[in-house]
Amino acid sequence: MLRCINRLEEISSGELIVDGFKVHEPKTNINLMRQEIGMVFQHFYLYPHKTVLENITLAPIKVRKIEEGAAKKMAMELLEKVGIPEKANSYPSQLSGGQQQRVAIARGLAMKPKIMLFDEPTSALDPEMIGEVLDVMRTLAKEGMTMVCVTHEMGFAREVADRVIFMDEGRILEQESPSQFFKNPKEERTKLFLSRILQH
Amino acid sequence: MDFSSVLDPTHWSALLSGLKVTLLVAFSAIILSFIFGTILGVLRYTRIPVVSHLAIIYIEAIRNLPLLLIIFFGYFALKDWGVQIPIALSVIISMTVFTSALVAEIVRSGLNSVDKGQIEAARSQGFTYTQTLWYIIMPQAMKKMIPPMVSQFVSLLKDTSLAVAISLPELTHAAQIIYNSKYNATIPLLILVSLIYFVINYCLSLASRYLEKRLAG
Repeated sequence: MLRCINRLEEISSGELIVDGFKVHEPKTNINLMRQEIGMVFQHFYLYPHKTVLENITLAPIKVRKIEEGAAKKMAMELLEKVGIPEKANSYPSQLSGGQQQRVAIARGLAMKPKIMLFDEPTSALDPEMIGEVLDVMRTLAKEGMTMVCVTHEMGFAREVADRVIFMDEGRILEQESPSQFFKNPKEERTKLFLSRILQH
Repeated sequence: MDFSSVLDPTHWSALLSGLKVTLLVAFSAIILSFIFGTILGVLRYTRIPVVSHLAIIYIEAIRNLPLLLIIFFGYFALKDWGVQIPIALSVIISMTVFTSALVAEIVRSGLNSVDKGQIEAARSQGFTYTQTLWYIIMPQAMKKMIPPMVSQFVSLLKDTSLAVAISLPELTHAAQIIYNSKYNATIPLLILVSLIYFVINYCLSLASRYLEKRLAG
């Protein structure tokens, strides 16, 4: 579902409208739409040949045509926000997983998107580093950023989400507020899932 | 064996002018096949319907022909069609035609070796396909392309000696003329010529290693 929102996945049937853009229509200017949607991946996918700062400024400069000085200034503010301004001139390979993911979030935010998509942002991380990434996301949520997050971090979902969607085999099974979802799941499949997940 | 002929200064100037032709032909063909090969490789990689198929046909056709045959074609076919060009130019064209196909394959496999996630990350930021290729995929692929590319160019430089067959006055040909007119000078001259090829190509390999290191930093 997440990958359909910015059409990284071809939409085979049905309608999907994101912020007025008809994603399912081939003639929609997809590049224009994607500028408004930040995305964070499970495996970060930072640009390895660019420094942290360049990773963040590349799209604003080349796609949004922002002036370089302004882009750098904004990038530094974002790095400040995700807590690693000292890494600006490092290369991604010199960073820990948690740091890389925070840079990836900063890179997404640099386009000043209206929506942020998170595709299992903590699944590839050491358990110790999950916290630092979730903290950044928590801050974003509090600031009012619209976020769609695929996650297995149930505690995080419960605390931060406005709406929880439970999916199985590519279908939406249940859509609820977090309190309803975790306390009174309606579907059997959801109950099974929660009982398995919450045991440990 | 008569090593004295190797030391004869008149022979040196003949060999030197042969070397000049070798270098001229080789480096012209290297530059041209780098340009055309890269374009071809990218076209094949992009999977644009008709264009990439044409690239595939070209690459597969040329890759499976012997270079000598292409050199003969370049020389005799052009002559047949009434195109009057110097032998050196016909060899440059033939070598470019041949090496472009091989460079194209190196470029394609370099591009393919870049993680597909890189494309998704770039596209998700609103980069167009062309921008993604240029800013994200190409620079990462370059690093991996350098070693095989340089070894291809070393082959090219060595293979310019095949043009002996159409009497291009390059290094090997110059040596041939000398040892044909001199008794017992064949082996010493071949050794000398081998040394010259070796030194040039070894320098190329060193340059490639240096470049690789710098790009990796």
